[in-house]
Formats: sequence, structure tokens, C-alpha cells
Amino acid sequence: MEIETTLTRFIVDELLDERHGKDLGPDDSLLSSGLLDSLSVMSLIGFIEHEMGYHVSPADVTIENFQSVRTISNYLRLSERGSVDG
Amino acid sequence: MSDLLHHIVDRSADRFPDAAAFRFQGRDLTYAELSRQSNAVAATLIDAGIERGDRVGIHLNRGLRVPQAVFGIMKAGAAFVPLDPQQPTGRLTDVVRSAGIRCIVTDQQTAASVLEVVDGGAGVEFLLGPDASGTAERTVSWSDVDRGDCAFNGVPGLVPEDMAYLMFTSGSTGTPKGIVHTHFSGHSFASTAAKVYGLTPDDRLSGFPPLHFDQAMFDYFSGPLAGATTVIIPEAHMMMPASLSQLMDQERLTVWYSVPYALVQLLERGALHERDMSSLRWVLFGGEVFPLGQLRRLMELWPVARFSNVYGPAEVNQCTYFHVPPPAEWPADWTALPLGDLWPHAEGLVLDEDGTILPDGSPGEFIVRTPTMMSGYWDGAKERNTVFFTRSRDGRTETFYRTGDLVLREKDGLYRFLGRMDRQIKSRGFRIELDEIETAIARFPDVAEAAAYAVNDDWGTRLIHAAIRPGGATPPSIAQLRAFLAGELPRYAVPVSIRILDDFPRTSSGKTDRLALEKEHQKQQTALETD
Repeated sequence: MEIETTLTRFIVDELLDERHGKDLGPDDSLLSSGLLDSLSVMSLIGFIEHEMGYHVSPADVTIENFQSVRTISNYLRLSERGSVDG
Repeated sequence: MSDLLHHIVDRSADRFPDAAAFRFQGRDLTYAELSRQSNAVAATLIDAGIERGDRVGIHLNRGLRVPQAVFGIMKAGAAFVPLDPQQPTGRLTDVVRSAGIRCIVTDQQTAASVLEVVDGGAGVEFLLGPDASGTAERTVSWSDVDRGDCAFNGVPGLVPEDMAYLMFTSGSTGTPKGIVHTHFSGHSFASTAAKVYGLTPDDRLSGFPPLHFDQAMFDYFSGPLAGATTVIIPEAHMMMPASLSQLMDQERLTVWYSVPYALVQLLERGALHERDMSSLRWVLFGGEVFPLGQLRRLMELWPVARFSNVYGPAEVNQCTYFHVPPPAEWPADWTALPLGDLWPHAEGLVLDEDGTILPDGSPGEFIVRTPTMMSGYWDGAKERNTVFFTRSRDGRTETFYRTGDLVLREKDGLYRFLGRMDRQIKSRGFRIELDEIETAIARFPDVAEAAAYAVNDDWGTRLIHAAIRPGGATPPSIAQLRAFLAGELPRYAVPVSIRILDDFPRTSSGKTDRLALEKEHQKQQTALETD
């Protein structure tokens, strides 16, 4: 659950504004509800790369991988395993 | 011959009834369906008492209801007013009040903020779209509209000079400013653009910009005029370049039109080497300056497509064009793309500060006369003398729009962009008055002075930053200030950073030296990047 918690905290604290409230569930849609915009997506990727230490390839920045906190977390876990296994 | 804007759809419905006019998430809306469904919207509005000249808001997420609303409202003789569903409620209320909007077309998904505005007493009498709920206002749901009368024969007395749409943009006084376009100006733009870019029924356009962005009129009017298909791009794809490029590939788009920022995103993060873009024949961009290095790389990646720079403030839609030659032919001394040459049926002049017309080769304000020009600002009598320049010839008055852009026309006949005469900037294509941001910041307690400025990023756009000078002993909380601004300004206008300074750099006359703030910021940013 650690990845989910870190991501949720960052999104709620840094990216969401007042109008969206401060509740964000792991399956809430990040991309279709006006929660994020293209600039906040860039900050999120910057955070994942620089603060959480994952490499995110541009080809992986897709709707499937980034639609919710849960899908991002699953993607990061898979990519971590991928890089360990070589 | 002049037409009304909504005739575009009915005429294409006669010629290509089964062709897709719009497409969204794999679903087609044919011309015949769009013609019928927009009739149903018009009939519903007229039933509800909407009359010729009324303003009707469109507050919808992207989807096939948007074209239905656009054409339905015009068929009812009213003007549509695009409302950004992402903007703060306070600003939405300002626009609804200022435009005197009697009816809003919305849906269940986005109705929450509309209901808040309605409850705030903004004068809205009628809602089209949400499921009828406990609201006091009269409401007709989409399912009732769809079941309604599609045999609708138009509104009498509507002429091409009547208002077709009203677009709100950032105003320097802090209140959004409405640009009035008529059926005549809108149709003139639609047909000239369709001709200049050679649109045909085989074209598939990128419906990239939101409706409240003037570039969208190309997708909503020029495409349908040619009988082409506009593929409305879903919200999520705008943020995910690799998914966007996949959609462009799958949908076999032929004509693209957006701000440079979107194309730079595609270039840098769109996984373009994995995509087949061979269908793309023309790439149009405008609203901001495309950095040459990134443009060169993109053109080399898509060698078959033509690339064109589009220029024109929302007040005139478009007035110049420049077809970019292949990078191998670029002059060595180019520092930026030219704005280009005037497009058909436009006259351009360059003025000095005293209103004297300057010869080629002298820098000055660009003014333009064109049938694609707005009729004026909404409620803007006081601005008439400052935004228009009139010239008298043989007793006839010719009216030019003053763009506020500094340009130079060189010997090759091409206009070059030199900068703005005021403090208007573009960020990700959105037009923002820095004064509007400063006015909003200054409303926050304990702020003595605010300065907003724009700094280049590496993504073909500029981002807004701000500095404040505190008024009291304890400086205000930046987090609270940002939260306050999120409720006052559209998201793209909220500064990405705000710093606290004991004092601002000053010019010799004691004014805030915003250029110094901007330069210092840019220098720090560059230092960080090269670390």
C-alpha cells in the first residue's frame, strides 16, 4: 500500500485545488473528471521520477497506466519488477 | 453569398447524410443525426421562451452533445456562449451575469457547478440537459429533448449580422471580456479556412481545443462546411501524449490544429517512433510561438505533412498564414517563424503610436480589416475607440481591429511578430492578462503589492509566476493564497510559483520592474537545469 499512500498524499497536497476537495480514493479517475490538467500530470511524473526513484518511459505515460492511483501503483510495481529481472 | 452558420450542418446533411460530422470515443454522429438533433435542441429552447438574440451557455464536457448544442442554439436564433466546466464557480457566475444568460445547456455530469451558479441568483431561468431534480428552475432533460420534435423550420428575422456566439477571454480589469461574433464573421472564417487548407469530405480533423478556445471554430465550422469529420479528442488524451498519438494513428487524422504546446508534448513524450502518422497531411499551429528546434525535429519526423503557422487574435479568428518550408530550406538567420502573409480578404496595416500608417520595414502595431472580425465587445461601448481604428475613404468608413501586437513587415512581404504592446501573454495557448492575475492576488489579505510575469519553459510555452510584497508583519500563507486564487482564476492562470519579496526591483520611475523579475527567474531556472 505504500506506493498508493505516497501518490495520494502528493496528488492531494500539491495538485488538487479547493474545488475538488481533499478526498481521493485509489480508483477515482484522475484524467476525465477535471482533477488534473497536463501541467499537473507533468509534476506528478516529475515526483515519481525524482522523489520516488522510478524511471517512467514516455511510451508508458498512457491513460491505461495513469487513470487512477491504483493503476499508477500497479504500473510502478510492474516496471520495478521488470527492471530487476532485467 | 452569406449564410447563417447553422446552415453549414443542414447543407452537409443534404449532401452527405450518412457521413460522420463528429466522432467521439469510437461513436459517430452523422450529418443527418446532427441536423435532426440540433433541430430538437432548437425546438426545446423556443418552447422554453428563448428568443432571437438571447444568449445560451454551453457547459458540457467534451462529447457529441457539444456540436448538438452549438448548432441547436444558433438554429433557435440565439447566440451560444462557451462556458469552461473547469473554471471556478465565481468566474462562471461573472460570465453568466455579464452575458445575461437565460438558459444553460449542460448535463448530469457537469451540472453541479451550474446549479451553484443558478442558486446564487445569476438570472438563469432554464436548464437544458440535467435530469429534472429538486431545483426550482425549469429543466428539460436530454432524454426529453431526444424524444422531442425534430421538424423545425427555423427562426424568422435572423440575418447574418446577428450574433452567433459570444466568447469570453481574460480582461485586464479583472472581469472577463466578451467577444461578439456574428453569423457573418463566423461563416467568413469557416469558408476562408476551409479554402486555404483545402478541406474535403475525406478529411478527419483533430478536435483538440475546448469549445471556449477560439481555435475550436475551425473544427466546429470549417470541418462541417467541407463535409469532413471532426474527431473530438477526449479530456484524458490531452494529458497523455502517448495515448493521444495512438488515437491520431488509429483515427487516421488528416488535419491537425492546436497550440504548439500540444505538438511539443507529442514530440517529447508521444512515443512517435511507434506510430504511423502517414495519414496526416497538414499540421496547423497557432496561439503561441513554436520553438524552431522542436519544430524542425517534428517536421523531420513527419516529412509528408505540411506545416503552417496560423495567426489571428480571437477578435478576428485568423488573418495571416505561413506555410513553413522544409527545414533544409530555412534561412540561416531565422530566429523565429514569420507570422506570414495576409490571408484572403484581409487588409493589414502597421501603425505608430500616433495612429500614422507606417511603410514596410517599420515596427508598429498590427491592425487588420477582415470579414472574419468580431462586431465588437459585449457591452463594450467604452472600448470602441481604443480597439478599433477607423479610416475614412471617400466618405466611407473602414474599420480595423487593433491587435495590440507589435509587428514588422519585411521586404519579402511577410509579417514578423515582435511582441505585445500591453501585458497580455499566452500560456499553453490561453490568453491571459497579467493585470487580471495581479488584481486577484491583491484582493488577498496582507498583500501590499503583487507582480505577475511569464517565464519560458522547455515545452514551447510560458508559465506564469508571481511575487508578492507583504502588507503586514507576518507574510500571508502561500498555500492559502494559491487556494484563494484557484477560486478566482481559471486553472491555467494560477501562478505555478509565488514568492515573497521584501521589495520589488524598480524602474527609474519607481514602477515595479517586472522584466527584471522575469529575467532573474529565467536565469535561476536555467542555472538549475544545467546543474
